[in-house]
Amino acid sequence: MTAIRLSLRLGRWGLLGFSVLAFTSSLIQAVGFYQIAGHTAASRAAFAQSMTQLASQLTFILAPPAGLDTVGGYVEWRSFGGLAIVFAIWALVSGSGAARGDEERGVVEAVLATGITRSRWLASRAICYALTTFVAALAGGLGLVAGVAGAGESISFGPVVEISVALAALGLSCYSLTLVIAQLTGARIATAAAGAVLLALFLLNRLSQTFTWLASWRWISPFHYYELNQPLAAGGAFDGRATLTLLGIAMVGAAVAGVVFESRDLGAPLVHWPSRHRPASYEPSGSPFWRIPVVRGLYERRAGLAAWAGGLAAVGVLFVYLTKTVLQPLLSIPALSQFFGGFGGGQLYTTFLGYFWLSFAQLLFAAFAITQVARWSAEDSDGRLELILSTPRSRASVVVERAIALTLGAAVVAAVSGVAVAVAAHYQAMNISGERLAEGTLVLVPFALVFAAAGAVLAAWNPRAAVGLLGGLAFVSYLMDELGPLFRWPTWVQDFSAFKLFGTPLSNGIDRSGLVIMVALILAGFGASILLMERRDIGA
Amino acid sequence: MKFEVAQLHGAYMLREMAVSAIRTSRLSKDYGVGRGLFDLDLEVASQQVFGYLGPNGAGKTTTIRLLMGMIKPSAGAAYVFGLDCRRDYVEVKRRVGYLPGDMPQFGSLRGKEVVAYLGGMRGGADPKAVRTIAERFDLDLNRRFREYSNGNKRKLGILLAFMHRPDLLILDEPTNGLDPLNQQEFYELLREARDGGATVFLSSHILSEVEHVCDSVGILRAGKLVRVARLEELRAAGETSLEEIFLSYYSDTDHHQKALPE
Repeated sequence: MTAIRLSLRLGRWGLLGFSVLAFTSSLIQAVGFYQIAGHTAASRAAFAQSMTQLASQLTFILAPPAGLDTVGGYVEWRSFGGLAIVFAIWALVSGSGAARGDEERGVVEAVLATGITRSRWLASRAICYALTTFVAALAGGLGLVAGVAGAGESISFGPVVEISVALAALGLSCYSLTLVIAQLTGARIATAAAGAVLLALFLLNRLSQTFTWLASWRWISPFHYYELNQPLAAGGAFDGRATLTLLGIAMVGAAVAGVVFESRDLGAPLVHWPSRHRPASYEPSGSPFWRIPVVRGLYERRAGLAAWAGGLAAVGVLFVYLTKTVLQPLLSIPALSQFFGGFGGGQLYTTFLGYFWLSFAQLLFAAFAITQVARWSAEDSDGRLELILSTPRSRASVVVERAIALTLGAAVVAAVSGVAVAVAAHYQAMNISGERLAEGTLVLVPFALVFAAAGAVLAAWNPRAAVGLLGGLAFVSYLMDELGPLFRWPTWVQDFSAFKLFGTPLSNGIDRSGLVIMVALILAGFGASILLMERRDIGA
Repeated sequence: MKFEVAQLHGAYMLREMAVSAIRTSRLSKDYGVGRGLFDLDLEVASQQVFGYLGPNGAGKTTTIRLLMGMIKPSAGAAYVFGLDCRRDYVEVKRRVGYLPGDMPQFGSLRGKEVVAYLGGMRGGADPKAVRTIAERFDLDLNRRFREYSNGNKRKLGILLAFMHRPDLLILDEPTNGLDPLNQQEFYELLREARDGGATVFLSSHILSEVEHVCDSVGILRAGKLVRVARLEELRAAGETSLEEIFLSYYSDTDHHQKALPE
């Protein structure tokens, strides 16, 4: 019981944050449904038709919807579809933290020293996560109930609980898979390895809708079993067998993780790779890169940057193939070909690629900026910044060097992914405007810097809370872009969203006023960060 | 003309020698509810090893972090070689070697990369100094930081503090985690630095260590400096051991007064 209480305490911020996020997401989508779809059967049918078209373009990320003319069907698709991804990320972070992060911090060693067995400790973490993920999923359901009640309608509570159970089961299965992978790998790569596996399972399920040859492998993805549940949609149902399968994956995963944990040394992976013998050295590194400001930061992060650049290039190429696969059958229909001929000024592929690829790339670049801010916060809290500032460097120069290094890092990632997309489009014989593609790709750099600048302010103000707050800010920014046009918010309010400022550069060229605002936000953010940094106590 | 230059240079040197390595004036850092550092008036002359004594939470690290300009004082000021620690912190650090109480994490960087990284921020590490210190402590710089034991991490910290031959070494509990053999090597390094003209300001709660290597001591109690003395004067005056002097400042109730917030 003590172990479970400690686990609950360790996960309390996750519980609170994701509950609020799930509740808000469902509430906003429910309110949005009534605002847009109206209250008559005819208006809702028209709304459902337009949303079905949108859904067909989003199949790479969201499951095909059902019953979009009802609030349940719409929220199930827009909110619970997105929450599946969010809960998987939560499971990844929480699972790798429980399996390896706490071990690195010495928490596990201290707990095991009290006499608790390894299996019991791991079981307590899994039970705790099951409880918290269910509460957070239920908060998502309650957001729907609140939104429906606010419109003067009602919804049956049974399906709400059912979708919450399915979402919690998905989160728990992802958590257990993360536990297993984190036990097998070294602490340093646990999150990356588990993240790669979960991403592969997600993409396998989503892409199997487009690439039929993948369909026979869909059964290994937990996301497939989650999507079999559609209890909120009219005509849909809760799939008990699919949910039990998810729980089975979770239980087997946790059991395997427990066995592996019992077998390995604390702080080490299960399988040791023999390390290459290196002769002892008493010399400093002779590499000149360490002496050059900015370059040393990039050189230190070279492996991470290469991973980001390679990863984004791979995703970009995938989106090119996806765009081609989705559009080609449509263009083979004469009537649709004529319709699409006048669409996007003849630049059909450019428009669709801009929508598919750049929308997704924005999310990835926001994530890239958040990971860099997480690094700045970690430098502060683990004392690295203190050691850096023990050298004759001003605090302002540290902020400036971080900003320039991030700019160059983002530029490298953008350039590599842009070139990969251009080459893939060329080989797919897609008529893409190279100039527009270059512009659109480069605007991703200031886009990422907007988040980095906000993160720099937060990291200078409160480093421990910076990542969470920046994640929340990114979510709000995304919601503002989604909801602003629907609710007809004033333009100046929408301009606070970096997603809105980014515009649609592939279809309409660079939004120059948006770019100017982004640059102003970047300068203001890093300027404020310098001022805060000069005034604050380091490590406080 | 040469004479004038020499005179000017000589005048500068004389002024430099007259300036204390460290001087604080009513230096305070108030964390609230009686915790912090209060009205610290301290002067540490050049070319000596100064031991800063106090129990856990007495305010030793707070003083050090104020001297390094990491935190801002609630009141008062601190000077290193006459330079204001808050205003001139970049210049101060040009002349200071710093060892924090806890070594930060450098993950998968190798020891030699950490040295080159922080050395690069100082304009380049002196390879000869690095090699000498690393060999003396038998610190393999080819290994990754995360593979180092606590003792080896401490050795790396010592190397980083000494590698640019600073005029002032500010060391927070430097021998934490070092084995007795390496402790002796470290004491030898301190003496050599002092004999070479450097000043050392080290915090410790190991009284035997302070008695062994320090020229002067300052005793801190609940955020206030209660005694400063040269060790040879204490010995000449026939005072009791440093341990007894230290313990005489602490009663049971005082022991619970701390400088840092819980």
